[in-house]
Amino acid sequence: MFEKRSIGLALVLPAALFVALGFLLPVGLLLAESFRTPAGWSLAYFTTFFADPLNQAVFLRTLRLGLTVTAVCLVVGYAAALAITGLGPAARGRFVGVLILPLMISPVARTYAWVVILGRTGLLNVLVLKLGLSDEPLRILFTETAVFLGLVQLFFPLAVLPLLSALENLPADVVPAARVLGASWLRVFWQIILPLTREGLVVGGTLVFVGSLTAYITPAMLGGSKVLMLETLLYQRVSVANDFVSAGVISVILIVMSIATNVLLRRLAAGRRAGGAHA
Amino acid sequence: MRSLGSVLLALVMLFLLGPFVVIVIAGLSSGETLAFPPPGLSLRWVAKVFEVESFRAAFGVSMLLGVGATLVALVLGVPAAYALDRYKVPGGEAVRSIVTAPIIVPGIIVGLALLRFLLVPLGLPVMLGLFLGHTALLIPYAVRIVSASLNNLRVDIEEAAILLGASRAGAFFRIVLPNIRSGIVAAFILGFVTSFNQVPVSLFLSGPGVTTLPIEMLSYMEFNYDPSVAALSALLALLSLAVVVVAERLLGLSRYV
Repeated sequence: MFEKRSIGLALVLPAALFVALGFLLPVGLLLAESFRTPAGWSLAYFTTFFADPLNQAVFLRTLRLGLTVTAVCLVVGYAAALAITGLGPAARGRFVGVLILPLMISPVARTYAWVVILGRTGLLNVLVLKLGLSDEPLRILFTETAVFLGLVQLFFPLAVLPLLSALENLPADVVPAARVLGASWLRVFWQIILPLTREGLVVGGTLVFVGSLTAYITPAMLGGSKVLMLETLLYQRVSVANDFVSAGVISVILIVMSIATNVLLRRLAAGRRAGGAHA
Repeated sequence: MRSLGSVLLALVMLFLLGPFVVIVIAGLSSGETLAFPPPGLSLRWVAKVFEVESFRAAFGVSMLLGVGATLVALVLGVPAAYALDRYKVPGGEAVRSIVTAPIIVPGIIVGLALLRFLLVPLGLPVMLGLFLGHTALLIPYAVRIVSASLNNLRVDIEEAAILLGASRAGAFFRIVLPNIRSGIVAAFILGFVTSFNQVPVSLFLSGPGVTTLPIEMLSYMEFNYDPSVAALSALLALLSLAVVVVAERLLGLSRYV
Protein backbone atom coordinates (compact mmCIF):
# COMPACT_ATOMS: atom_id res chain seq x y z
CA MET A 1 0.00 0.00 0.00
CA PHE A 2 1.46 3.31 -1.08
CA GLU A 3 0.52 6.53 0.64
CA LYS A 4 0.75 9.04 -2.20
CA ARG A 5 -2.88 9.99 -2.77
CA SER A 6 -2.13 12.30 -5.67
CA ILE A 7 -0.53 9.54 -7.76
CA GLY A 8 -3.39 7.16 -7.04
CA LEU A 9 -5.93 9.79 -8.00
CA ALA A 10 -4.05 10.64 -11.20
CA LEU A 11 -4.05 6.97 -12.23
CA VAL A 12 -7.75 6.40 -11.61
CA LEU A 13 -9.01 9.75 -12.88
CA PRO A 14 -8.93 9.08 -16.67
CA ALA A 15 -11.11 5.96 -16.36
CA ALA A 16 -13.46 7.60 -13.85
CA LEU A 17 -13.86 10.73 -16.00
CA PHE A 18 -14.46 8.67 -19.13
CA VAL A 19 -17.21 6.65 -17.44
CA ALA A 20 -18.71 9.69 -15.67
CA LEU A 21 -18.92 11.91 -18.78
CA GLY A 22 -19.35 9.30 -21.50
CA PHE A 23 -21.73 7.04 -19.62
CA LEU A 24 -23.18 8.18 -16.27
CA LEU A 25 -24.10 11.68 -17.46
CA PRO A 26 -26.09 10.65 -20.58
CA VAL A 27 -27.75 7.73 -18.79
CA GLY A 28 -28.64 10.00 -15.86
CA LEU A 29 -30.15 12.59 -18.20
CA LEU A 30 -32.18 9.89 -19.94
CA LEU A 31 -33.56 8.60 -16.64
CA ALA A 32 -34.25 12.08 -15.24
CA GLU A 33 -36.20 13.02 -18.36
CA SER A 34 -38.83 10.37 -17.55
CA PHE A 35 -39.79 12.20 -14.37
CA ARG A 36 -39.85 15.71 -15.89
CA THR A 37 -43.23 16.41 -17.44
CA PRO A 38 -44.33 19.79 -18.82
CA ALA A 39 -46.25 20.24 -15.54
CA GLY A 40 -43.12 19.66 -13.41
CA TRP A 41 -41.61 16.59 -11.76
CA SER A 42 -44.11 13.75 -11.60
CA LEU A 43 -44.81 10.10 -12.25
CA ALA A 44 -47.36 10.97 -14.93
CA TYR A 45 -45.42 9.24 -17.73
CA PHE A 46 -45.38 6.02 -15.72
CA THR A 47 -49.13 6.03 -15.04
CA THR A 48 -49.81 6.69 -18.73
CA PHE A 49 -47.43 3.89 -19.72
CA PHE A 50 -49.02 1.33 -17.41
CA ALA A 51 -52.56 2.39 -18.35
CA ASP A 52 -52.00 0.88 -21.83
CA PRO A 53 -53.03 -2.82 -21.86
CA LEU A 54 -50.34 -3.63 -24.45
CA ASN A 55 -47.62 -2.25 -22.19
CA GLN A 56 -49.08 -4.13 -19.20
CA ALA A 57 -49.02 -7.35 -21.20
CA VAL A 58 -45.40 -6.82 -22.24
CA PHE A 59 -44.37 -6.00 -18.67
CA LEU A 60 -46.09 -9.10 -17.28
CA ARG A 61 -44.72 -11.30 -20.07
CA THR A 62 -41.19 -10.08 -19.33
CA LEU A 63 -41.61 -10.90 -15.61
CA ARG A 64 -43.21 -14.27 -16.40
CA LEU A 65 -40.44 -15.29 -18.80
CA GLY A 66 -37.78 -14.04 -16.37
CA LEU A 67 -39.21 -16.12 -13.51
CA THR A 68 -39.85 -19.32 -15.49
CA VAL A 69 -36.48 -19.21 -17.27
CA THR A 70 -34.70 -18.63 -13.95
CA ALA A 71 -36.61 -21.44 -12.21
CA VAL A 72 -35.89 -23.97 -14.98
CA CYS A 73 -32.21 -22.95 -15.27
CA LEU A 74 -31.68 -23.24 -11.51
CA VAL A 75 -33.48 -26.57 -11.01
CA VAL A 76 -32.04 -28.35 -14.06
CA GLY A 77 -28.72 -26.54 -13.58
CA TYR A 78 -28.50 -27.73 -9.99
CA ALA A 79 -29.06 -31.34 -11.03
CA ALA A 80 -26.48 -30.97 -13.81
CA ALA A 81 -23.96 -29.37 -11.44
CA LEU A 82 -24.44 -32.25 -8.97
CA ALA A 83 -23.90 -34.76 -11.77
CA ILE A 84 -20.77 -32.94 -12.98
CA THR A 85 -19.19 -32.85 -9.48
CA GLY A 86 -19.58 -36.65 -9.40
CA LEU A 87 -17.33 -37.02 -12.45
CA GLY A 88 -13.57 -37.43 -12.61
CA PRO A 89 -11.42 -34.32 -13.13
CA ALA A 90 -10.88 -34.88 -16.88
CA ALA A 91 -14.59 -35.29 -17.65
CA ARG A 92 -15.40 -32.34 -15.38
CA GLY A 93 -12.98 -30.15 -17.29
CA ARG A 94 -14.62 -31.14 -20.57
CA PHE A 95 -18.07 -30.23 -19.24
CA VAL A 96 -16.88 -26.86 -17.98
CA GLY A 97 -15.54 -26.31 -21.51
CA VAL A 98 -18.96 -27.20 -22.95
CA LEU A 99 -20.54 -24.65 -20.60
CA ILE A 100 -18.06 -21.83 -21.30
CA LEU A 101 -17.83 -22.23 -25.08
CA PRO A 102 -21.39 -21.00 -25.85
CA LEU A 103 -20.73 -17.86 -23.77
CA MET A 104 -18.03 -16.87 -26.24
CA ILE A 105 -20.14 -17.43 -29.35
CA SER A 106 -22.17 -14.62 -30.87
CA PRO A 107 -25.69 -14.69 -29.33
CA VAL A 108 -27.07 -13.86 -32.78
CA ALA A 109 -25.48 -17.05 -34.15
CA ARG A 110 -26.67 -19.06 -31.15
CA THR A 111 -30.21 -17.79 -31.48
CA TYR A 112 -30.33 -18.24 -35.26
CA ALA A 113 -29.90 -21.98 -34.69
CA TRP A 114 -33.36 -21.92 -33.09
CA VAL A 115 -34.81 -20.24 -36.18
CA VAL A 116 -33.48 -23.22 -38.16
CA ILE A 117 -34.86 -25.73 -35.65
CA LEU A 118 -38.27 -24.19 -34.95
CA GLY A 119 -39.13 -22.59 -38.32
CA ARG A 120 -41.87 -23.74 -40.70
CA THR A 121 -39.44 -25.88 -42.71
CA GLY A 122 -37.19 -26.53 -39.70
CA LEU A 123 -35.97 -29.70 -38.04
CA LEU A 124 -38.83 -29.94 -35.54
CA ASN A 125 -41.59 -29.54 -38.10
CA VAL A 126 -39.95 -32.08 -40.45
CA LEU A 127 -39.96 -34.58 -37.58
CA VAL A 128 -43.54 -33.74 -36.56
CA LEU A 129 -44.82 -34.17 -40.13
CA LYS A 130 -42.80 -37.36 -40.77
CA LEU A 131 -44.02 -38.97 -37.57
CA GLY A 132 -47.59 -37.96 -38.39
CA LEU A 133 -48.02 -36.04 -35.12
CA SER A 134 -49.70 -33.23 -37.02
CA ASP A 135 -51.07 -32.65 -40.53
CA GLU A 136 -49.61 -29.18 -40.91
CA PRO A 137 -46.44 -27.47 -39.65
CA LEU A 138 -46.64 -26.28 -36.04
CA ARG A 139 -46.31 -22.57 -35.39
CA ILE A 140 -43.61 -22.42 -32.70
CA LEU A 141 -41.35 -19.68 -34.02
CA PHE A 142 -42.64 -16.26 -32.93
CA THR A 143 -44.39 -17.68 -29.86
CA GLU A 144 -43.54 -17.32 -26.19
CA THR A 145 -42.38 -20.97 -26.18
CA ALA A 146 -39.67 -20.18 -28.73
CA VAL A 147 -38.46 -17.20 -26.67
CA PHE A 148 -38.48 -19.37 -23.55
CA LEU A 149 -36.37 -22.09 -25.22
CA GLY A 150 -33.91 -19.56 -26.60
CA LEU A 151 -33.49 -17.82 -23.24
CA VAL A 152 -32.98 -21.09 -21.35
CA GLN A 153 -30.28 -22.18 -23.79
CA LEU A 154 -28.62 -18.75 -23.70
CA PHE A 155 -28.48 -18.46 -19.90
CA PHE A 156 -28.19 -22.09 -18.74
CA PRO A 157 -24.35 -21.90 -18.43
CA LEU A 158 -24.66 -18.78 -16.26
CA ALA A 159 -26.75 -20.78 -13.77
CA VAL A 160 -24.56 -23.90 -13.75
CA LEU A 161 -21.11 -22.30 -13.43
CA PRO A 162 -21.70 -20.57 -10.02
CA LEU A 163 -23.52 -23.68 -8.73
CA LEU A 164 -20.57 -25.81 -9.80
CA SER A 165 -18.07 -23.66 -7.96
CA ALA A 166 -20.35 -23.56 -4.87
CA LEU A 167 -20.56 -27.38 -4.86
CA GLU A 168 -16.81 -27.72 -5.33
CA ASN A 169 -16.21 -25.40 -2.37
CA LEU A 170 -18.27 -27.58 0.01
CA PRO A 171 -16.06 -28.69 2.91
CA ALA A 172 -14.88 -32.16 1.90
CA ASP A 173 -16.00 -34.06 5.01
CA VAL A 174 -19.48 -32.71 5.87
CA VAL A 175 -21.41 -35.01 3.54
CA PRO A 176 -19.62 -38.24 4.52
CA ALA A 177 -19.91 -37.18 8.20
CA ALA A 178 -23.67 -36.71 7.93
CA ARG A 179 -24.00 -40.04 6.10
CA VAL A 180 -21.98 -41.86 8.77
CA LEU A 181 -24.25 -40.36 11.42
CA GLY A 182 -27.22 -41.89 9.63
CA ALA A 183 -28.77 -39.04 7.61
CA SER A 184 -30.57 -40.08 4.42
CA TRP A 185 -29.42 -38.67 1.06
CA LEU A 186 -32.52 -36.50 0.87
CA ARG A 187 -31.88 -35.07 4.32
CA VAL A 188 -28.20 -34.47 3.52
CA PHE A 189 -29.28 -32.58 0.42
CA TRP A 190 -31.96 -30.42 2.09
CA GLN A 191 -30.16 -29.70 5.34
CA ILE A 192 -26.50 -29.58 4.32
CA ILE A 193 -25.77 -29.27 0.59
CA LEU A 194 -28.57 -26.87 -0.33
CA PRO A 195 -27.97 -24.32 2.50
CA LEU A 196 -24.20 -24.37 1.92
CA THR A 197 -24.59 -23.68 -1.80
CA ARG A 198 -27.15 -20.88 -1.35
CA GLU A 199 -24.68 -18.29 -2.56
CA GLY A 200 -24.21 -20.15 -5.86
CA LEU A 201 -28.00 -20.20 -6.29
CA VAL A 202 -28.22 -16.46 -5.61
CA VAL A 203 -25.39 -15.56 -8.00
CA GLY A 204 -26.68 -17.83 -10.78
CA GLY A 205 -30.30 -16.79 -10.20
CA THR A 206 -29.43 -13.10 -10.36
CA LEU A 207 -27.45 -13.49 -13.59
CA VAL A 208 -30.22 -15.47 -15.30
CA PHE A 209 -33.14 -13.35 -14.05
CA VAL A 210 -31.56 -9.98 -14.86
CA GLY A 211 -30.26 -11.38 -18.16
CA SER A 212 -33.77 -12.53 -19.13
CA LEU A 213 -35.45 -9.27 -18.08
CA THR A 214 -33.02 -7.28 -20.22
CA ALA A 215 -32.80 -9.72 -23.15
CA TYR A 216 -33.02 -8.19 -26.61
CA ILE A 217 -31.66 -10.62 -29.21
CA THR A 218 -33.78 -13.65 -28.20
CA PRO A 219 -37.19 -11.92 -28.18
CA ALA A 220 -36.26 -9.94 -31.31
CA MET A 221 -35.33 -13.04 -33.32
CA LEU A 222 -37.65 -15.70 -31.86
CA GLY A 223 -40.59 -13.57 -30.70
CA GLY A 224 -40.77 -10.81 -33.26
CA SER A 225 -43.42 -8.12 -32.93
CA LYS A 226 -45.98 -10.68 -31.65
CA VAL A 227 -44.07 -11.61 -28.49
CA LEU A 228 -42.57 -8.35 -27.31
CA MET A 229 -40.48 -8.11 -24.16
CA LEU A 230 -39.51 -4.80 -22.50
CA GLU A 231 -36.33 -4.26 -24.55
CA THR A 232 -37.91 -5.13 -27.88
CA LEU A 233 -40.85 -2.86 -26.99
CA LEU A 234 -38.37 -0.07 -26.21
CA TYR A 235 -36.66 -0.51 -29.57
CA GLN A 236 -39.98 -0.65 -31.40
CA ARG A 237 -41.33 2.49 -29.69
CA VAL A 238 -38.25 4.47 -30.77
CA SER A 239 -37.72 3.06 -34.26
CA VAL A 240 -41.38 2.90 -35.32
CA ALA A 241 -42.96 5.82 -33.47
CA ASN A 242 -40.11 8.06 -32.28
CA ASP A 243 -41.75 7.65 -28.87
CA PHE A 244 -38.92 8.68 -26.55
CA VAL A 245 -41.26 9.06 -23.57
CA SER A 246 -42.15 5.35 -23.48
CA ALA A 247 -38.50 4.48 -24.17
CA GLY A 248 -37.43 6.53 -21.14
CA VAL A 249 -40.07 4.93 -18.92
CA ILE A 250 -39.00 1.42 -20.00
CA SER A 251 -35.36 2.37 -19.34
CA VAL A 252 -36.22 3.38 -15.78
CA ILE A 253 -38.20 0.16 -15.27
CA LEU A 254 -35.34 -2.00 -16.58
CA ILE A 255 -32.68 -0.29 -14.47
CA VAL A 256 -34.78 -0.32 -11.31
CA MET A 257 -35.60 -4.01 -11.76
CA SER A 258 -31.94 -4.94 -12.46
CA ILE A 259 -30.58 -3.07 -9.45
CA ALA A 260 -33.42 -4.18 -7.15
CA THR A 261 -32.85 -7.83 -8.08
CA ASN A 262 -29.12 -7.54 -7.40
CA VAL A 263 -29.62 -5.82 -4.04
CA LEU A 264 -32.55 -7.95 -2.83
CA LEU A 265 -31.01 -11.29 -3.70
CA ARG A 266 -27.64 -10.35 -2.23
CA ARG A 267 -29.37 -9.25 0.98
CA LEU A 268 -31.37 -12.47 0.98
CA ALA A 269 -28.18 -14.54 0.78
CA ALA A 270 -26.41 -12.50 3.46
CA GLY A 271 -29.44 -12.34 5.79
CA ARG A 272 -30.09 -16.06 5.64
CA ARG A 273 -26.45 -16.79 6.36
CA ALA A 274 -26.47 -14.54 9.44
CA GLY A 275 -29.76 -16.14 10.57
CA GLY A 276 -28.25 -19.59 10.21
CA ALA A 277 -25.33 -18.62 12.44
CA HIS A 278 -27.73 -17.71 15.25
CA ALA A 279 -29.71 -20.93 15.05
CA MET B 1 -28.37 -42.26 -9.36
CA ARG B 2 -25.20 -42.34 -11.44
CA SER B 3 -26.92 -43.43 -14.66
CA LEU B 4 -29.66 -40.84 -14.09
CA GLY B 5 -26.92 -38.20 -13.88
CA SER B 6 -25.33 -39.43 -17.12
CA VAL B 7 -28.65 -39.26 -18.95
CA LEU B 8 -29.21 -35.71 -17.66
CA LEU B 9 -25.73 -34.59 -18.72
CA ALA B 10 -26.18 -36.15 -22.16
CA LEU B 11 -29.45 -34.22 -22.58
CA VAL B 12 -27.81 -31.00 -21.38
CA MET B 13 -24.96 -31.49 -23.89
CA LEU B 14 -27.49 -32.11 -26.66
CA PHE B 15 -29.45 -28.98 -25.71
CA LEU B 16 -26.33 -26.78 -25.51
CA LEU B 17 -24.34 -28.11 -28.46
CA GLY B 18 -27.02 -29.63 -30.73
CA PRO B 19 -28.10 -26.24 -32.13
CA PHE B 20 -24.52 -25.57 -33.28
CA VAL B 21 -24.46 -28.81 -35.26
CA VAL B 22 -27.80 -27.81 -36.80
CA ILE B 23 -26.55 -24.35 -37.78
CA VAL B 24 -23.35 -25.70 -39.36
CA ILE B 25 -25.33 -28.18 -41.48
CA ALA B 26 -27.93 -25.54 -42.39
CA GLY B 27 -25.13 -23.20 -43.48
CA LEU B 28 -23.73 -25.88 -45.80
CA SER B 29 -27.07 -26.18 -47.60
CA SER B 30 -27.29 -26.23 -51.39
CA GLY B 31 -30.93 -25.04 -51.35
CA GLU B 32 -32.35 -21.60 -52.08
CA THR B 33 -34.12 -21.09 -48.74
CA LEU B 34 -33.42 -22.00 -45.16
CA ALA B 35 -34.57 -25.57 -44.48
CA PHE B 36 -33.52 -28.43 -42.30
CA PRO B 37 -32.45 -31.01 -43.28
CA PRO B 38 -31.04 -29.25 -46.39
CA PRO B 39 -31.74 -30.76 -49.84
CA GLY B 40 -27.98 -31.21 -50.39
CA LEU B 41 -24.64 -29.94 -49.20
CA SER B 42 -22.53 -27.23 -50.82
CA LEU B 43 -20.29 -24.30 -49.97
CA ARG B 44 -22.27 -21.78 -52.03
CA TRP B 45 -23.71 -19.87 -49.03
CA VAL B 46 -20.37 -19.85 -47.27
CA ALA B 47 -18.92 -18.27 -50.42
CA LYS B 48 -21.87 -15.85 -50.59
CA VAL B 49 -21.09 -14.57 -47.09
CA PHE B 50 -17.75 -13.24 -48.34
CA GLU B 51 -19.40 -11.60 -51.34
CA VAL B 52 -22.13 -9.67 -49.56
CA GLU B 53 -20.74 -6.14 -49.41
CA SER B 54 -22.68 -5.15 -46.26
CA PHE B 55 -21.31 -8.18 -44.35
CA ARG B 56 -17.75 -7.30 -45.36
CA ALA B 57 -18.12 -3.67 -44.33
CA ALA B 58 -19.79 -4.61 -41.03
CA PHE B 59 -17.06 -7.16 -40.30
CA GLY B 60 -14.47 -4.40 -40.76
CA VAL B 61 -16.37 -2.08 -38.40
CA SER B 62 -16.70 -4.83 -35.77
CA MET B 63 -12.99 -5.75 -35.93
CA LEU B 64 -11.87 -2.11 -35.70
CA LEU B 65 -14.31 -1.44 -32.88
CA GLY B 66 -13.39 -4.61 -30.96
CA VAL B 67 -9.64 -3.93 -31.09
CA GLY B 68 -9.88 -0.15 -30.57
CA ALA B 69 -12.44 -0.16 -27.72
CA THR B 70 -10.65 -3.01 -25.91
CA LEU B 71 -7.24 -1.33 -26.16
CA VAL B 72 -8.57 2.01 -24.87
CA ALA B 73 -10.52 0.25 -22.09
CA LEU B 74 -7.26 -1.46 -21.03
CA VAL B 75 -5.20 1.73 -21.24
CA LEU B 76 -7.76 3.40 -18.94
CA GLY B 77 -8.60 0.31 -16.88
CA VAL B 78 -5.14 -1.06 -16.00
CA PRO B 79 -3.90 2.11 -14.21
CA ALA B 80 -7.30 2.46 -12.51
CA ALA B 81 -7.23 -1.13 -11.23
CA TYR B 82 -3.61 -0.66 -10.11
CA ALA B 83 -4.37 2.58 -8.26
CA LEU B 84 -7.48 1.13 -6.57
CA ASP B 85 -5.45 -1.88 -5.45
CA ARG B 86 -2.17 -0.29 -4.36
CA TYR B 87 -2.85 3.36 -3.51
CA LYS B 88 -5.12 5.07 -1.03
CA VAL B 89 -7.42 6.79 -3.49
CA PRO B 90 -9.73 9.40 -1.91
CA GLY B 91 -13.25 7.96 -2.02
CA GLY B 92 -11.83 4.68 -3.35
CA GLU B 93 -15.02 2.65 -3.03
CA ALA B 94 -17.13 5.32 -4.74
CA VAL B 95 -14.59 5.55 -7.56
CA ARG B 96 -14.64 1.76 -7.95
CA SER B 97 -18.45 1.86 -8.20
CA ILE B 98 -18.21 4.55 -10.87
CA VAL B 99 -15.78 2.67 -13.11
CA THR B 100 -17.67 -0.62 -12.78
CA ALA B 101 -21.14 0.96 -13.17
CA PRO B 102 -21.57 0.30 -16.93
CA ILE B 103 -21.87 -3.42 -16.26
CA ILE B 104 -25.24 -3.12 -14.46
CA VAL B 105 -26.97 -0.85 -16.98
CA PRO B 106 -28.70 -2.70 -19.84
CA GLY B 107 -26.85 -2.03 -23.08
CA ILE B 108 -29.85 -0.75 -25.02
CA ILE B 109 -30.23 2.10 -22.50
CA VAL B 110 -26.56 3.01 -22.88
CA GLY B 111 -27.00 3.22 -26.63
CA LEU B 112 -30.18 5.31 -26.41
CA ALA B 113 -28.70 7.67 -23.81
CA LEU B 114 -25.49 8.23 -25.81
CA LEU B 115 -27.47 8.82 -28.99
CA ARG B 116 -29.81 11.38 -27.48
CA PHE B 117 -27.60 13.26 -25.04
CA LEU B 118 -24.13 13.05 -26.56
CA LEU B 119 -24.13 12.23 -30.28
CA VAL B 120 -27.08 14.25 -31.51
CA PRO B 121 -26.46 17.41 -29.40
CA LEU B 122 -22.72 17.45 -30.17
CA GLY B 123 -23.10 16.19 -33.75
CA LEU B 124 -20.56 13.39 -33.23
CA PRO B 125 -19.91 10.82 -35.99
CA VAL B 126 -21.52 7.36 -35.80
CA MET B 127 -18.24 5.49 -35.39
CA LEU B 128 -17.25 7.64 -32.40
CA GLY B 129 -20.60 6.88 -30.74
CA LEU B 130 -20.09 3.13 -31.17
CA PHE B 131 -16.55 3.49 -29.85
CA LEU B 132 -17.66 5.44 -26.73
CA GLY B 133 -20.45 2.98 -25.95
CA HIS B 134 -18.27 -0.11 -26.39
CA THR B 135 -15.35 1.36 -24.41
CA ALA B 136 -17.61 2.33 -21.48
CA LEU B 137 -19.00 -1.21 -21.49
CA LEU B 138 -15.53 -2.81 -21.49
CA ILE B 139 -13.87 -0.70 -18.76
CA PRO B 140 -15.55 -2.68 -15.92
CA TYR B 141 -14.34 -5.98 -17.41
CA ALA B 142 -10.79 -4.63 -17.73
CA VAL B 143 -10.76 -3.29 -14.16
CA ARG B 144 -12.22 -6.49 -12.73
CA ILE B 145 -9.90 -8.95 -14.45
CA VAL B 146 -6.76 -6.87 -13.87
CA SER B 147 -7.75 -6.37 -10.20
CA ALA B 148 -8.02 -10.13 -9.82
CA SER B 149 -4.50 -10.57 -11.28
CA LEU B 150 -3.10 -7.84 -9.02
CA ASN B 151 -4.64 -9.51 -5.98
CA ASN B 152 -2.63 -12.62 -6.77
CA LEU B 153 0.60 -10.65 -7.05
CA ARG B 154 2.42 -10.03 -3.75
CA VAL B 155 3.13 -6.40 -2.93
CA ASP B 156 6.53 -7.28 -1.38
CA ILE B 157 8.34 -7.91 -4.65
CA GLU B 158 7.31 -4.48 -5.85
CA GLU B 159 8.38 -2.89 -2.56
CA ALA B 160 11.66 -4.79 -2.73
CA ALA B 161 12.32 -3.38 -6.20
CA ILE B 162 11.66 0.16 -4.93
CA LEU B 163 13.91 -0.38 -1.87
CA LEU B 164 16.63 -1.58 -4.24
CA GLY B 165 16.43 1.70 -6.12
CA ALA B 166 13.77 1.27 -8.81
CA SER B 167 11.45 4.19 -9.40
CA ARG B 168 7.69 3.73 -8.90
CA ALA B 169 7.18 3.74 -12.65
CA GLY B 170 10.16 1.44 -13.19
CA ALA B 171 8.80 -1.05 -10.65
CA PHE B 172 5.40 -0.96 -12.35
CA PHE B 173 6.70 -1.49 -15.87
CA ARG B 174 9.46 -4.00 -15.05
CA ILE B 175 7.95 -5.96 -12.14
CA VAL B 176 4.16 -5.58 -12.03
CA LEU B 177 3.28 -5.48 -15.73
CA PRO B 178 5.20 -8.64 -16.74
CA ASN B 179 3.62 -10.51 -13.82
CA ILE B 180 0.02 -9.61 -14.70
CA ARG B 181 0.58 -10.11 -18.43
CA SER B 182 -1.66 -13.18 -18.73
CA GLY B 183 -4.47 -11.34 -16.92
CA ILE B 184 -4.17 -8.47 -19.39
CA VAL B 185 -4.17 -10.82 -22.37
CA ALA B 186 -7.24 -12.61 -20.96
CA ALA B 187 -8.95 -9.23 -20.45
CA PHE B 188 -8.12 -8.32 -24.05
CA ILE B 189 -9.58 -11.55 -25.45
CA LEU B 190 -12.74 -11.37 -23.32
CA GLY B 191 -13.13 -7.67 -24.07
CA PHE B 192 -12.75 -8.18 -27.81
CA VAL B 193 -15.23 -11.07 -27.83
CA THR B 194 -17.71 -9.03 -25.74
CA SER B 195 -17.46 -6.08 -28.13
CA PHE B 196 -17.55 -8.22 -31.27
CA ASN B 197 -20.72 -10.05 -30.12
CA GLN B 198 -22.38 -6.97 -28.62
CA VAL B 199 -25.88 -6.11 -29.89
CA PRO B 200 -27.91 -3.93 -27.46
CA VAL B 201 -25.32 -1.12 -27.12
CA SER B 202 -24.88 -0.92 -30.90
CA LEU B 203 -28.63 -0.98 -31.76
CA PHE B 204 -29.19 2.77 -31.53
CA LEU B 205 -25.58 3.75 -32.22
CA SER B 206 -25.29 2.10 -35.64
CA GLY B 207 -26.03 4.40 -38.54
CA PRO B 208 -26.38 4.13 -42.29
CA GLY B 209 -23.17 2.65 -43.66
CA VAL B 210 -21.60 2.16 -40.23
CA THR B 211 -23.04 -1.03 -38.75
CA THR B 212 -21.53 -3.81 -36.66
CA LEU B 213 -21.67 -7.38 -37.91
CA PRO B 214 -24.34 -8.74 -35.50
CA ILE B 215 -26.61 -5.74 -36.21
CA GLU B 216 -26.12 -6.26 -39.95
CA MET B 217 -27.05 -9.93 -39.52
CA LEU B 218 -30.24 -8.95 -37.70
CA SER B 219 -31.30 -6.55 -40.44
CA TYR B 220 -30.30 -8.95 -43.26
CA MET B 221 -32.45 -11.76 -41.84
CA GLU B 222 -35.45 -9.44 -41.66
CA PHE B 223 -35.61 -9.29 -45.46
CA ASN B 224 -33.87 -12.51 -46.57
CA TYR B 225 -34.66 -16.13 -45.87
CA ASP B 226 -31.64 -17.70 -47.57
CA PRO B 227 -29.07 -19.82 -45.68
CA SER B 228 -26.32 -17.18 -45.75
CA VAL B 229 -26.97 -16.01 -42.16
CA ALA B 230 -26.76 -19.66 -41.09
CA ALA B 231 -23.43 -19.98 -42.94
CA LEU B 232 -22.14 -16.79 -41.32
CA SER B 233 -23.34 -17.95 -37.88
CA ALA B 234 -21.50 -21.24 -38.37
CA LEU B 235 -18.32 -19.39 -39.39
CA LEU B 236 -18.54 -17.13 -36.30
CA ALA B 237 -19.13 -20.13 -34.03
CA LEU B 238 -16.08 -21.93 -35.46
CA LEU B 239 -14.00 -18.75 -35.09
CA SER B 240 -15.01 -18.48 -31.41
CA LEU B 241 -14.21 -22.16 -30.91
CA ALA B 242 -10.71 -21.58 -32.30
CA VAL B 243 -10.18 -18.51 -30.06
CA VAL B 244 -11.39 -20.37 -26.96
CA VAL B 245 -9.22 -23.45 -27.62
CA VAL B 246 -6.08 -21.39 -28.29
CA ALA B 247 -6.68 -19.07 -25.31
CA GLU B 248 -7.39 -22.00 -23.00
CA ARG B 249 -4.14 -23.72 -24.06
CA LEU B 250 -2.12 -20.53 -23.66
CA LEU B 251 -3.49 -19.10 -20.43
CA GLY B 252 -6.37 -21.09 -19.03
CA LEU B 253 -9.00 -18.55 -20.04
CA SER B 254 -11.71 -20.35 -18.04
CA ARG B 255 -10.24 -18.92 -14.82
CA TYR B 256 -11.24 -15.44 -15.89
CA VAL B 257 -14.77 -15.98 -17.20
